[in-house]
Amino acid sequence: MLESTFSNLRVPIDQLPTILQLEKQSLSEKYAPLNRLLNLGFTLVVCVIGLALYFQPFVDLPKGLLNFLPFVIWAAAILGLLLTWLSHARDQVKSYTLRELDLHYTSGLFFRKVVSQPITRIQHIELKRGPIERKAGLATLQVFSAGGAMHTFEIPGLPIDTAQQLRQFILQHKDVVKHG
Amino acid sequence: MDSQSISSATDSKEPTDPSDVQDDWQVLSPVAILYFAASVFKHLFSNVIYLIPAIAVSYKSVLEHPFIWLPAILGALAVLTLFAFLSFKVYRYRLSEDNIEIRSGIFSKKHLNLPFSRVQNVKIEQPIYYRFTGHACLQLDTAGSAKNEAKLVAIKLDFAQQLKTRIQSQVQNDAIDSNQNNMSADSSEIHSESVNSQAQHEIVLNRRNLSDLVIHGITSNRIWIFLGGLAPFYNNIFDSVGEWLTKLGIDLTELFSLKTHSLLEVAMYAFSLTMLIMFVLVSFSVIGAIVSFYGYTLSKLDDKYIRRSGLLTKHEVSMGLSRLQMVIQKQDWLDVLLKRINLTFEQSNAFANNLNTSASSSKIIVPSIKPHECQTLIDDAYPDNALNALVCEDGFNPISKGFILRNILLVLMPLWLITTSVTLMNDKIIISTMLSVAFVVLSGLVVLRWKRWGIAKDKNFVYLRKGLIGVDYYCFPTYKLQQTQFKQNLLMKKRQLATVKFVLASGSLKVPMIKQNLAYQLIDEGLYQVETSQRSWM
Repeated sequence: MLESTFSNLRVPIDQLPTILQLEKQSLSEKYAPLNRLLNLGFTLVVCVIGLALYFQPFVDLPKGLLNFLPFVIWAAAILGLLLTWLSHARDQVKSYTLRELDLHYTSGLFFRKVVSQPITRIQHIELKRGPIERKAGLATLQVFSAGGAMHTFEIPGLPIDTAQQLRQFILQHKDVVKHG
Repeated sequence: MDSQSISSATDSKEPTDPSDVQDDWQVLSPVAILYFAASVFKHLFSNVIYLIPAIAVSYKSVLEHPFIWLPAILGALAVLTLFAFLSFKVYRYRLSEDNIEIRSGIFSKKHLNLPFSRVQNVKIEQPIYYRFTGHACLQLDTAGSAKNEAKLVAIKLDFAQQLKTRIQSQVQNDAIDSNQNNMSADSSEIHSESVNSQAQHEIVLNRRNLSDLVIHGITSNRIWIFLGGLAPFYNNIFDSVGEWLTKLGIDLTELFSLKTHSLLEVAMYAFSLTMLIMFVLVSFSVIGAIVSFYGYTLSKLDDKYIRRSGLLTKHEVSMGLSRLQMVIQKQDWLDVLLKRINLTFEQSNAFANNLNTSASSSKIIVPSIKPHECQTLIDDAYPDNALNALVCEDGFNPISKGFILRNILLVLMPLWLITTSVTLMNDKIIISTMLSVAFVVLSGLVVLRWKRWGIAKDKNFVYLRKGLIGVDYYCFPTYKLQQTQFKQNLLMKKRQLATVKFVLASGSLKVPMIKQNLAYQLIDEGLYQVETSQRSWM
């Protein structure tokens, strides 16, 4: 009853495809700048709220808070800029790889991380698009396995066409068709 | 009573042969009212726990106004009874050849339709109040979420058993169908064989006596959890215990005062008192173990493990061998001394993540068994595993010594330096010496932890060892992997080290700071096995 095309030869360990040499695909060019813009905007909003609180004439704030507030605003601004810069640097090293039988996502600047998801273990796929992502023509691909919600495989910042192609590829993959 | 007559009519209609197709909606036996009442009560009670502090504070003033709380409690009871009765009245179920439908819910109506082929796990539960009437609950778990489970609340026990075998054979048939589609010859052969031998009787693999359960109660760490839970009430407890003792004519302050007694005497008193408290707590833990594991049997029917246990509520959990994700062999420090092992068969936790007690969760625990029994059970589940040999020959790859360095230098040392310098500056020498002792002890624990870490693999399995004073072994077939993660920071990269995380359906396992090459090898081979084996993880 064995299928004639089926073969399962022993592969020498040093000939296995390794995740050390992944051909990395970078995310959409728009992703990193967009994220930077969002982070900057968020920092700005926090600072503006702080400033508005400081200068507003309506309510008398306690003296302690009033003395303290400028420092908080400065700290928020500096921290915001620092984090923006950091996350921008992080966004630029994020990449993904699609191999014949598995998906990989590489991220991290100081803490490098490679997540590998065999396609045969995929339960279902979601394309997530917030309002800003829709505007920019981006999408986040979420892949769910039985590993639980904590271990959802996620690739952010894909151009919508690529994301849809990826989804089609996975859905039509022979492993998913068989086991899904 | 009206409901009585209806249900007795349906009871008599209830066919004894479960293969009969039932087209009409069935009503539960009225015993179900008890079940609904109990479940509502349980639900309420679990929320009341948060109210206990508030009640405790206003305890006196509440007691002074019986005309308020008495009607309130009575009213609550009445509502509860009404609720239970209504739940019973609206509950209907219907069985057809290959699926089950359940209609329930008073305010929000629920209609559940579950094909038998989607059932992951069948559990039979018999609460103590069902034992007199011979009823039981049948719980059907699906691979989806915990919300999607179906529970037939009060059916006759033998009917539940029949239904269970019927559902499980359906699931098996389904598996064969899909396997034949896959044309994987050998596995379908095994399956059809197992179906042919369906009538085969169960083999009991393991029983636990009362003495084993007592040992389990002593060794399991429930005492400490219990102590932690009581922490907010320590003051009250000590006060009331003191009062009680004074009433008995024992004065604690006098007993422990060094003026009237010698140091040795006081020490003896203190020692015996602690022993007494420990004894009480240990007996609590033993009682807990007996309640959940009384009459424990682990048996095997074809390729299915069945666990039955429970003193008050009898639980029956069954798990197909193919659903088994990982075996865990756990030994706490007391277990190491007594040479006992807690063995756990883990399956997918998709439907077990609602915090279940140890007795009702869908994993199979074999409490406090002897090493050779443990080995037979593991070999029974995974015949070609090499865990025993690995343990004996210590064939595990150790993790880097950098683990000790990292935890002591980067975590413990700074903490110790800051705290001791602060205390020394304030001339608190005793505290700073205590801190230093704690630092040394913790550093020792880090070394122990490092010593326990280890990983090994062979053709089909990955083995992991970890622990602190006790030692745990994890073993899973490589093809059960769901996802792998490779982690490395800059420091680790310089020293060619990496951390690997294996994600399985039953949870994830991490091994820190192993050699980078080994990490790549583990992941590459793992992915290779998953992708070539074509075997389902379920």
